[in-house]
Parts: sequence; structure tokens; C-alpha cells
Amino acid sequence: MVDPHTPPELRPLMDINQVIHASARLMILSYLYVVESADYVFLMHLTGLTWGNLSSHLTKLEEAGYITIEKLFKGKKPHSIIHLTPPGRTAFRQYKQSMQQVLDDLPD
Amino acid sequence: MSTPKISLKDAEQKAFQSTFADGLWDIYLGCLISMFAIAPFLTTSLGDFWSSVIFLPVWGVVYLGIRLVRQHVVMPRLGTVTWSPARKGKLRKFSLVMFVVNLLALVLGVIVAINLLRVPGLVATLILGILLLAGFTLAAYLLDFNRLYVYGLLVGSSPLVGEWFYTHARISHHGFPITFGITAVIMILTGLLVFVKFLRLNPILATETSSEEV
Repeated sequence: MVDPHTPPELRPLMDINQVIHASARLMILSYLYVVESADYVFLMHLTGLTWGNLSSHLTKLEEAGYITIEKLFKGKKPHSIIHLTPPGRTAFRQYKQSMQQVLDDLPD
Repeated sequence: MSTPKISLKDAEQKAFQSTFADGLWDIYLGCLISMFAIAPFLTTSLGDFWSSVIFLPVWGVVYLGIRLVRQHVVMPRLGTVTWSPARKGKLRKFSLVMFVVNLLALVLGVIVAINLLRVPGLVATLILGILLLAGFTLAAYLLDFNRLYVYGLLVGSSPLVGEWFYTHARISHHGFPITFGITAVIMILTGLLVFVKFLRLNPILATETSSEEV
């Protein structure tokens, strides 16, 4: 909800998707946006996040409905594959557009 | 100070290039190229055809070995990914281009072998060099695999440099064992160095069995 004290000229900043805006989640979504799917290890390798960190961010993204975590098995070991959902793709695209718009309007 | 621009294209490229960070492709290609260095020695005893065919099972074994290393050593460190339709399209284009280049090389080889068009040796050597250079350069471009440009130059120049050795220093077998041999060794050693570096930089990460979700 928008704080009534926020100056109207800065209100677009309050509309920025906070689930995506965190740098780690932005990094994860950027990679998932350009591939079809990836597993935990591949995302850890690319983002440099630790297992626990990645896991907690993926949980937040999954709760928001932006990704799905498909639980499979490789032999006896669990192997999770992460996909960006269509709403996640749309949200990421909207985030990209709104950030571009907000930043373009700022004076140098 | 300016902030670097976030490029999704670069992110995708980085993700894709990471699949070549293990050096296994370098080793495999080096093994393929080594055929040009070893085959001339076998020609006298086995003939042109069998001296080339004998390499097929060797390549098969090397390929299987590399697949096993990839599956058991690289994948646990690198993880798995399914590429976007755009990247899959580029890979299909790569396969098609490689098929055409190999077909051209095969046709050239047959023409030279049966002396169909009476192609002078130097022209055939030149065409072989151009085909090898084109093949490697196109592969480098389509796969975003920059080391292939350097290999393309080395492999593409090998027949011509070999011919020069043959003409000026009377090196046997058109100098192929030396030029292609050096090129193959460079590729295999580069691959091994990259592989060792990959292993050092990428220890096996905590597997999913150790995570809390199990």
C-alpha cells in the first residue's frame, strides 16, 4: 500500500515490485528469464549465492508464483529443476519496463 | 563512475559459455585433429581408407570417456540447464552448418583421392585449410566459443605450413605429422589446463541431499 506521505512525484518508486527488486532475486530471475530451466547447482554457479541463500530466495519467488520448483530424482538423490512461470515472466518484463521508465525520468 | 548496463543477452551468453569452461571440448577436438598427424604414418601399411577408418572406434572411446567425465565430474559442479528456444535454434543451425562443412570436406577428399578433377596438391591443401578454418570459425561464432577462433587459425594453417615444410625441408608426409601434431597437442594441453582450473575453481557444491528440503 502506498504511504500517503510519499510525494506524488516519487510514487512510481513505491510501485516497484519488491519481490523482484532484491538484488539476489533479480539475478536469479535474470538467468531464469534467458533459459528454459536450470537446477540449483547451475544457479548457484552463476549467481555466486550460497545454498541457503539461494534456497530462501527461491522460496520467496515460488510463493509469489514467479517460479516453479519441479522435484525430481537422479538415482536416489533429489534433483530440483527451476522454471520461470508465465506470470513470473510477465512480472519480470513489467519490472524491467517500470525500472527503465523510473530511471529515465530522473534528472542526471 | 558509470554503472555497467545489465544485459540479458550477456547473461545468457555467460550461462552458455560456462558449459565450455571445463575444457573437455578442447580435449575432444584435439584428439580429432591428432588423426591428421598420425594417419599419414598408417597409410603405408593400411592404405588411405583403413588408416582413416581405424580412428572411428578411437574417437568413439574418447567421446564416451568425455561423456562419462562430463556426467560424473563436471555436472555435479556445474549443474544442468535447458536452453531457451532461441539458443536451441542456434545450436540446430550449428549442427546444420557443421554437416555442410563436413560434407564439403568429404566431397573434396573423395575428389582428391580418386584424382577426379586432377586437382593440384597445393590447391587441395589450400582448400582443406580454408574448410578447416571456416568450420572452426563458424563453430566459434555460432557457439560463442572464442578459443575455437584460435584453434581455427592453427588448424587452418596446418596444411599450408606443413606443405611449406615439405617443400623447403623435405619433411615427410607433407609435414602433417608436425603441424597437425603440434596443433593437437596445443588443443589437448589447453583443454587439460582449463579442466584442472575448472576443478580447482568449482568444488562440488552441497548436494540436494544435504539441503533442508529433503
